[in-house]
Amino acid sequence: MYTEHLGWGLEMTVLGMGLVFALLALLWLLLTIVLKLDKEEDEPAEEAARESTAETERPATAAAGEPGEPLPARATVNGMEADLVAAILVAAHQHRQTLRRQAAPPVRAVWPGSRLFASRWLASGRARQINDWQPGGR
Amino acid sequence: MVDQETIALLMKGINGVTWQAVVMILVSLALFYLAIVKDYEPLLLLPIGAGCLLANLPLSPLMGEHGMLRILYQVGVENELYPLLIFVGIGAMTDFGPLLENPKFVLLGAAGQFGIFLTLILALLLGFSQNEAASIGIIGAIDGPTSIYVSGILAPHMLGPITVAAYSYMSLVPIIMPPVIHALTSKEERAIRMAYSQRKISRRTRIMFPIIVTAIVGTLVPFATPLIGMLMLGNLMKESGAVERLTKASSNEIANMVTLFLGLAIGSTMVGADFLKTQTLFILILGLLAFGIDCAAGVLFAKILNWLTGGKVNPIIGAAGISAFPMAARVCQRLAQQENFDNFLLMHAMGANAAGQVASVVAGGVLLALMGAGG
Repeated sequence: MYTEHLGWGLEMTVLGMGLVFALLALLWLLLTIVLKLDKEEDEPAEEAARESTAETERPATAAAGEPGEPLPARATVNGMEADLVAAILVAAHQHRQTLRRQAAPPVRAVWPGSRLFASRWLASGRARQINDWQPGGR
Repeated sequence: MVDQETIALLMKGINGVTWQAVVMILVSLALFYLAIVKDYEPLLLLPIGAGCLLANLPLSPLMGEHGMLRILYQVGVENELYPLLIFVGIGAMTDFGPLLENPKFVLLGAAGQFGIFLTLILALLLGFSQNEAASIGIIGAIDGPTSIYVSGILAPHMLGPITVAAYSYMSLVPIIMPPVIHALTSKEERAIRMAYSQRKISRRTRIMFPIIVTAIVGTLVPFATPLIGMLMLGNLMKESGAVERLTKASSNEIANMVTLFLGLAIGSTMVGADFLKTQTLFILILGLLAFGIDCAAGVLFAKILNWLTGGKVNPIIGAAGISAFPMAARVCQRLAQQENFDNFLLMHAMGANAAGQVASVVAGGVLLALMGAGG
């Protein structure tokens, strides 16, 4: 009786664990293929940021030129200095992002797992682990 | 004047008190204590305690033919509706990103299911029938809804103790896991640092993940389709970002409401006469054993991975290959920090933990398939 139970149980264990491992190994294989095929493209925001940096550095470049050289005229938007308008827009955008970030997960501004808005603790933990300065990898 | 019949009617409640009911009321008080004072899985243990208390009160009308508890049981437990709805919510709340960063950790989830099958053998040797043994073994998935789903199909009469065991042990993760990990790993192993990959997971991949998992698991193990299908539906809703209202409803309102109904319905199965048996004690002990075996198997498998990769895998994260998400991962992080405060394993452990979530559902489906049930 006990031998019979043991035999059946062992058969179930081998079959069950074999199937679970086989299925998950297949899943691993598929995920690896998907991750290889679907690499994250550069975010357009990064491209835009690079362009805007070049734009904002123009006055500084001009300022670094010959003394007495006229600076480019400061742009205005509806009578307000463009820099000021930009600063207000950035502040408003940041505030909105913060509000969304603090909201419930479904309405978060950035996808879960993104490192753009990881908590400070999480971000520093990851960074420490990646930039390991301790000897012997410990 | 009050006649004898009226007095008998008035005394009906007191006369209906049995010693089993008193014991079960004490059990419900213990569940309240765990939920309220100890904060162990209060969302479920409190309603279960309430269901247990209400079901064991003498002549409880709630347990009558049209009683609320009976109806709740018939509506959602008898046909496995509640666990499946809860899975939609779990899927909507789970981030599989850490697993996608390191897909090989999916194997740690598989290793974390050994407890199911080894406990099944022990239960058989203790005299339980094959269906009962499989239902006890599924406690080793450390996954409440999966345990309810599988045992509801294979051995509905054991649903009460199995659910209580599954949820109690899930809440005891911080107590059960550390001794097992300490026993199987050296100080040096626990201090191993693991670097993170710099891989970015695109939104497209995140959306494809639930679809691929559903298609693969559903095709190869059709018995797991209800479980994996609902889990991945919730995740797809979240990752797509297209149905924020549904995602929010699934992870909040629906999950909360179903948790309440499920807890009450499960608690109502804990009626003294059926619950107070030696086999309940066996179920609780075997469930604990299943949990311990899961952790041990996960750690040992991670040690093998560590050996294969030349010392790049911390064996602690093997213990996170169970379904108690994200508690198991947090415990692993804490243990790693005890050895080396600068060690930050959390996201690796989360990867293994997310794998455990998928693996427990797969194991549940495989078990049902092997038992020829649940189609």
